[in-house]
Amino acid sequence: MTEPARRSSELTAYLSHELRNALACIHQFGNILVDGLAGEMSGEQREYVHIMLENASKIRKVLDSTLDGTPDPIEESNEQNRRVSKLET
Amino acid sequence: MDSKKILIVDDNADIRLGMHLRLKANQYETFFAADAFAAVAEARKHRPDLVILDLGLPAGDGFTVMERLKQVPFLAVIPVIVVSARDGLGNQKRAHEAGAKAFLQKPVNDAELLAVIRQALGEPAGTKKPTLYDQGSV
Repeated sequence: MTEPARRSSELTAYLSHELRNALACIHQFGNILVDGLAGEMSGEQREYVHIMLENASKIRKVLDSTLDGTPDPIEESNEQNRRVSKLET
Repeated sequence: MDSKKILIVDDNADIRLGMHLRLKANQYETFFAADAFAAVAEARKHRPDLVILDLGLPAGDGFTVMERLKQVPFLAVIPVIVVSARDGLGNQKRAHEAGAKAFLQKPVNDAELLAVIRQALGEPAGTKKPTLYDQGSV
């Protein structure tokens, strides 16, 4: 592995690690609030935490599909559709 | 019946607190360690029924902790669940080879974590319904 490639790999691993730890905290405490472990919330408060968690979920999917090299399910499906279209033509 | 004791080993204080709240709500007693050295010391002191172990730790990583636990007969039998932000590609295999019962990548799914804990402790499957985000999941 070349030096730039090694540094790039290390940076990717570092970013993935740090972002996953931050997401883990958002996930844990968001669910703690939603589940009422820190007391009951109003409907409006619950809705806002849901929005927060849904957006954290989007970040996780981006993380899975980029930094960790896991194929993006949507992109993978599009790619399969392109292959099928190509076979059909 | 006494609560099962779980040692949470993670250098992130927020993660430790979040896990403590979730496990306490499920009737587990928790203890904590923030580095590899303290992990073994707390395991010796409290003799937990299970260890939840991060891999990236000060004073030696999670693999070092598993090695050290293995060297003490009464600690070697404690099931270990690895919960790490590291990628699962090589670490999952390595964790299993080191004796871990499971490898979960952060952010963890609460329902999955609880199911793995119950399985490792030989408890019956829980009745807790996963939250919306446990099914997605964040």
